[in-house]
Amino acid sequence: MKTNRKSDLAKREERTAYKLLLPALIILLLIAIYPLGQVFYTSFTDRQFASGQETEFIGFDNYRRLLSVTVQQLEPLVDEETNQIVIDEETAKVIYERPIDVLPREPIRYREYRQFNLMGNRYVLGATDVDFIDAIKNTLVFTVTSVFLELVLGLGIALVVNSNFKGKGVTRTAMLIPWAVITVVSARMWEWMLAPNRTGMFNMLLDRFGLTEGSIAFLASSSFQLPAMIAVDVWKTTPFMALLLLAGLQTIPDELYEAAAIDGAGPVKQFFSITFPLLKPAMAVALIFRTLDALRVFDVFQVLLGQSEYSMATYNYFQLIGNRNMGLASAIGVIIFIIIFGFAIIYIKSLGVEMDETS
Amino acid sequence: MNKRIWLSVLMVLVLMFGLLAGCGSPAEEPAEEPTEEEPVEEPSEDEVVITVAAGAVGQELELTQMAAQMYMDDNPGVIVEVLDTPDLAQDRLGLYLQFFEAQSSEVDVYQIDVIWPGDLEEHFVDLYDYGADAVVGDHFPAIVENNTVEGRLVAIPWFTDAGLLYYRTDLLEKYEFDPPETWEELAQQAQTIQQGERDEGNQDFVGFVWQGDAYEGLTCNALEWIASNDGGTIISPDGLITINNDNAVEMIDMAATWVGTISPEGVTGMAEEDARAIWQGGNAAFMRNWPYAYSLGQEDDSAVKDRFDVSPLPAGANGEPAATLGGWQLAVSRYSENPEIAADVALFMASYDMQKMRAVDGSLNPTIMELYEDDDVLEAAPFFGSLYDVFTNAVARPSTASAPNYNAVSTAFFRAVHNVLNGNTDAATALEELELDLQDITGFDIE
Repeated sequence: MKTNRKSDLAKREERTAYKLLLPALIILLLIAIYPLGQVFYTSFTDRQFASGQETEFIGFDNYRRLLSVTVQQLEPLVDEETNQIVIDEETAKVIYERPIDVLPREPIRYREYRQFNLMGNRYVLGATDVDFIDAIKNTLVFTVTSVFLELVLGLGIALVVNSNFKGKGVTRTAMLIPWAVITVVSARMWEWMLAPNRTGMFNMLLDRFGLTEGSIAFLASSSFQLPAMIAVDVWKTTPFMALLLLAGLQTIPDELYEAAAIDGAGPVKQFFSITFPLLKPAMAVALIFRTLDALRVFDVFQVLLGQSEYSMATYNYFQLIGNRNMGLASAIGVIIFIIIFGFAIIYIKSLGVEMDETS
Repeated sequence: MNKRIWLSVLMVLVLMFGLLAGCGSPAEEPAEEPTEEEPVEEPSEDEVVITVAAGAVGQELELTQMAAQMYMDDNPGVIVEVLDTPDLAQDRLGLYLQFFEAQSSEVDVYQIDVIWPGDLEEHFVDLYDYGADAVVGDHFPAIVENNTVEGRLVAIPWFTDAGLLYYRTDLLEKYEFDPPETWEELAQQAQTIQQGERDEGNQDFVGFVWQGDAYEGLTCNALEWIASNDGGTIISPDGLITINNDNAVEMIDMAATWVGTISPEGVTGMAEEDARAIWQGGNAAFMRNWPYAYSLGQEDDSAVKDRFDVSPLPAGANGEPAATLGGWQLAVSRYSENPEIAADVALFMASYDMQKMRAVDGSLNPTIMELYEDDDVLEAAPFFGSLYDVFTNAVARPSTASAPNYNAVSTAFFRAVHNVLNGNTDAATALEELELDLQDITGFDIE
């Protein structure tokens, strides 16, 4: 810990610093804290979007509607005459009660999300808003997978363009093109490439190589939707990741590598003993940026999937614009905020990012 | 430690602000872009600018711009700008709602869907105050009634729509079929033709294309299947939830068997224009679409020119053919700075001559009854005469019964159907769930 006694000069400097920071703080208050406060407040009401209807304060109801989950046990069906458990003749499996009969309906109705087996019993997981739970799941899968792939590919690209070769300036610039394209535009482009018949590039290629009949519905069938989203995002943001890592690589002095080479360390050893540890801070910053960004993904999902599969942000948009449920949409916004906040803290703690030199 | 937390709060705040700002901005952007046909000069002080938010499906935008030009030629003091809006109905609604929430005077005249008057009436003026009573009697009474809320005429009918079956006359002749009268016949014919054409080398040929993406268009399509099999209209006009019945289950299960057989896998991602692209390229035997696709199909660059015709949609085993009522109206914003002129523009665009032009050039169905007897119109779109009954008997979506919750009802419905089409569940389970969802949304009783 630092000492509490400070010199007069230091105190004066500190005061000047606060005065200089004041305008920035005021702007932050106006453009970030105020609207966010408004969102927090609205999330406790039943406000309607673009409507003159009166707004009422409803406490935590919006949150309850979004997040309530329950687990109920499903009993095996029993034949009334023989008192024996009913077994499906074809699959030889026990038939259970239907979740729709088991899940509670008051005060809010629970819908089936998943069924699972545990210690020989069958359970159903019910949620009041299955779509939102799905949206959270989609967003998390999307975030973890795409950021991981971007990190691996970005690191590879950064290492390549960091070496000395002819035309490296051009390569570095060209590599940024996907990142510079507006997301909605690149999403449309991908929409054409992913078209469900042979007018789409991927179906055409798959057909040309005789792998499929050229009619895979990448954007409409559930098993391809998320992978397609991840592919679009990886294509688009890998250059950004590479750029951040490249900046980190360039701060590593060449002398270290020279010394290591003299001591007999090969390229692999050099990478793990010099590059990797010295790159960690840059990597941490890049990871935080990308993760927090990926968690609020909106444009790719909205353009490519619309109402058929949601991310947290597109579900928010749907509740606000489609259903005009401004209160509920605000609650979703707050939940997204909390999830992102959680991620930020985990990252900053676990990666040991030095944000403040004196601490 | 504390400082780290504060720093992360700060970062999250900045990021969140980006998210919120990102959600809000698209409304303003399209307004800035000048369309090609606009005069370049800046409006002088005594000139009034009227902005019309209009659709751009098929030829709609060009036709609206032509009408705007004609109005400007007659009224030198007025500049009519046409704002291009998204193709998908609920994207368009989203854009409009942002204008309404801000009470913006940016747009004066809105093109609104037949299902919106009930939900949006508070944002529009009463056109009876601006001379609509003189013309309202010429339009279809059912649509006028749909657009009237508590005695106020919130929108003037502009064009009407009903789902039609487009079929290839040359292929039906080749395989010796008559236009199908039931869905089962359609499936059989589509299967035969698809197989035959593929064997002859057109690998991309499909039997039947329709609108299966998860959006309002799927509600229209699925309502036609169900209504044509005597399965009701989701919610009955007197406010009972009727969707969970055997006839509806039967039809939705049947439609699910089309996906991947007579229709491509990708049909569950198709909207009107996606289906038309396949059809107009000559790669489909049947298509379900609105009348606008007729005149586009007859254009010179169309592969199906003079090789197709339209008929009423097929019926289910237990019912009569049904077509969903669509169509668009023009409404004048309450927040307009010049409501008189805006109303005049709206009434001009919906007038006899303009509707005639749109019918002849764009095969957009007039809402003025007399136009169905006009020789020029019948020559350009002969089916207006022969399918007159389809247009007058079209089945309305339950928008009046479920207002102001129609959008939530429709979304729950098309998502449930989409799930069945994708094979995630079967129709009986999906509709049983849907019935309870609709009860949660509307509070209505289940039949």
